[in-house]
Amino acid sequence: MSAIFRLSGSLKDVVGGKDEYIIEAGHTVREQLLALGIVPETVAMVSVNGAMETKDYVIQDGDTVRVLAVVGGG
Amino acid sequence: MNGYGGHILRVNLATGQVKKEPTPADLARDYLGGRGFGIYFLLKEVPKGADPLGPENKLIISSGPLSGLLVAGGGKCDWTCKAPLTGGYASASMGGHFTAELKYAGLDSIILEGISPKPVYLFIDDDKIELRDASEYWGKGSMTVEKMMKDKFGEEFQIAVIGPAGENMVSFAHINHDFGRQAGRGGVGAVMGSKKVKAIVVRGTKSVPVADMEAYRKAGMALYKACKDAEGLQEWTRYGTTIVTSWCNEVGALPTRNFSAGSFEGAQGIYGQTMREKIVITDKGCFGCPCPCGKYSKTKKYNSYVEGPEYETIGLLGSNVGIDDIEAVAQANLLCDEMGIDTISAGNVIAWAMECYEKGIFTKQDTGGIELKFGNADAVFKMIEMITKKEGLGALLADGVKKASQEIGKGTEKFAIQVKGMEQSAYQTHNATAMLLAYMTCDVGAHHNRAWAITYDIQVGRDKVVPEKVARVIWLQHFRPMFDVLGACRLQWVELGIDRDLYVPLLEAITGIHRTWEDIEKVGERIWNLTRLYWARENAGFGRAWDMPAPRFYEEPPTSGVTKGQYTKLEDVNKLLDMYYEQRGWDSNGLPKPETLEKLGIPQELVA
Repeated sequence: MSAIFRLSGSLKDVVGGKDEYIIEAGHTVREQLLALGIVPETVAMVSVNGAMETKDYVIQDGDTVRVLAVVGGG
Repeated sequence: MNGYGGHILRVNLATGQVKKEPTPADLARDYLGGRGFGIYFLLKEVPKGADPLGPENKLIISSGPLSGLLVAGGGKCDWTCKAPLTGGYASASMGGHFTAELKYAGLDSIILEGISPKPVYLFIDDDKIELRDASEYWGKGSMTVEKMMKDKFGEEFQIAVIGPAGENMVSFAHINHDFGRQAGRGGVGAVMGSKKVKAIVVRGTKSVPVADMEAYRKAGMALYKACKDAEGLQEWTRYGTTIVTSWCNEVGALPTRNFSAGSFEGAQGIYGQTMREKIVITDKGCFGCPCPCGKYSKTKKYNSYVEGPEYETIGLLGSNVGIDDIEAVAQANLLCDEMGIDTISAGNVIAWAMECYEKGIFTKQDTGGIELKFGNADAVFKMIEMITKKEGLGALLADGVKKASQEIGKGTEKFAIQVKGMEQSAYQTHNATAMLLAYMTCDVGAHHNRAWAITYDIQVGRDKVVPEKVARVIWLQHFRPMFDVLGACRLQWVELGIDRDLYVPLLEAITGIHRTWEDIEKVGERIWNLTRLYWARENAGFGRAWDMPAPRFYEEPPTSGVTKGQYTKLEDVNKLLDMYYEQRGWDSNGLPKPETLEKLGIPQELVA
């Protein structure tokens, strides 16, 4: 029951440079961000297996989750 | 001249004369291109007090030194004129493929002067340049005409065209190109319509000289590689600008029911994910773009095809008018494109009218029987048509929300969401002080593209009023619009986080002139001050009052959503302006001090 959780861009710096975590499934993306010390509002987008999801998505076994920081806007 | 087409094309519409002039080398050196050329010609050649829709106004269309070359996103074209919407400076940036053909035809700018006695279109095929009769196209929709012209001349011709709203001189009429790209804001389409120019058709086959071919190839490929390797490329390409819709809703930045709230209960229905699943059929990019943000969509409900909607349109013609159905937003987008009106201003002004209706200020007698309530998609479609035709209530709304609210009075000015007469784009700013300042001081009115500072608000504390936020806004105002000067798209830097230093060797290889970003930003600062001088020259009494936001943002807290109850105090609005003017070297009324102009090397001929 594990999943891959990847941080991109400036989010890596928030957690000291590590960009990939093997995590337990069953939590929401928002909970996982808070557990890593990342303020959810600074995350613009959550991608799960290549498709966009909300931060309330419950991470499933085998998922690859990528979170992207808000960059600069339109 | 390396990096340039080499000529400025002047078109005298009154006499039908067309004339090419060499692009001055010092103009290219000091103003680079794009909106730099635009403000230079506007200040120098359009007389003080010119009627925006009269013969003295000029429409200046310019590519930049990065346009049409081996540059990721080198497809941007600037359209500058005196704005019918605001009475000040208009500069609208258009993507697509037009700018590349312009350059291949050997042109850096086209300057449309005077007024034609009859509807015409400008036809450019390299050195064959003609004004031709447009009577068969006049009165028809933008994309209908683009298709007719593509069928007639061939796919390789690029076309910029106005719709009926431009012909009718609706103050926020836009110019369409590539079936869904626009020079959108300020009423540039109305100026083209006032000149009776239906379209510009261009094809070019010439080479553009570059200074160092090998360095150009290397630097160009390095920029492409950076885009292809960028984290987030897959998601960006899949969703384009709609990627931010859910984030905006989450942080209370999604304009909802005429900016009365920043979170929308029906947002799920207009999210990028929903759009991708329900209506998107393919991706669509501009010239040379490796990360296309355009989405081409098909609606089932309306059986229609449209490019978009992108985020701004979703915000203004979705949540801001209370619509939670992405198909209805797409249909409203299509109608605006075909009629030739800016979706941002349209969604904003219709939302204002809806609020007036719900408050009993407008009745069915005013609306022509339309139930003009938030969430009524059919009413939105009808209002787009009425604005285009200047029919009934549409005639009032066609002047923009500032003038409409001044005419109606009854306190409606307080919820007319605009700055300097331009309707605010799709970021709610009750409690985002950097973004609020960005809108207040943007040089075309309340538009987001010069300084998108809302993420900075989130990072440092959204209600903080500190010099660092002001400095950030000023830096963005110098840096971001330089993409509109260089003739390239900023989204590779903005959305993919591409290292901006990759552009430095590329610009040098193309032009043969070494410039650092500091040098380029200095040009940006010079242009910013020139646009300010233009506003002051054209508007008696111009100053601080013109930078004030809609009172809604400092008097009425949002009624719902995550920012419920939060707003910026008036004293903080003024504090933001005080800090901004001081950091810019402007006086307390917001006008550049003589020593600031001198420091920036602004020529006296442009100051008078």
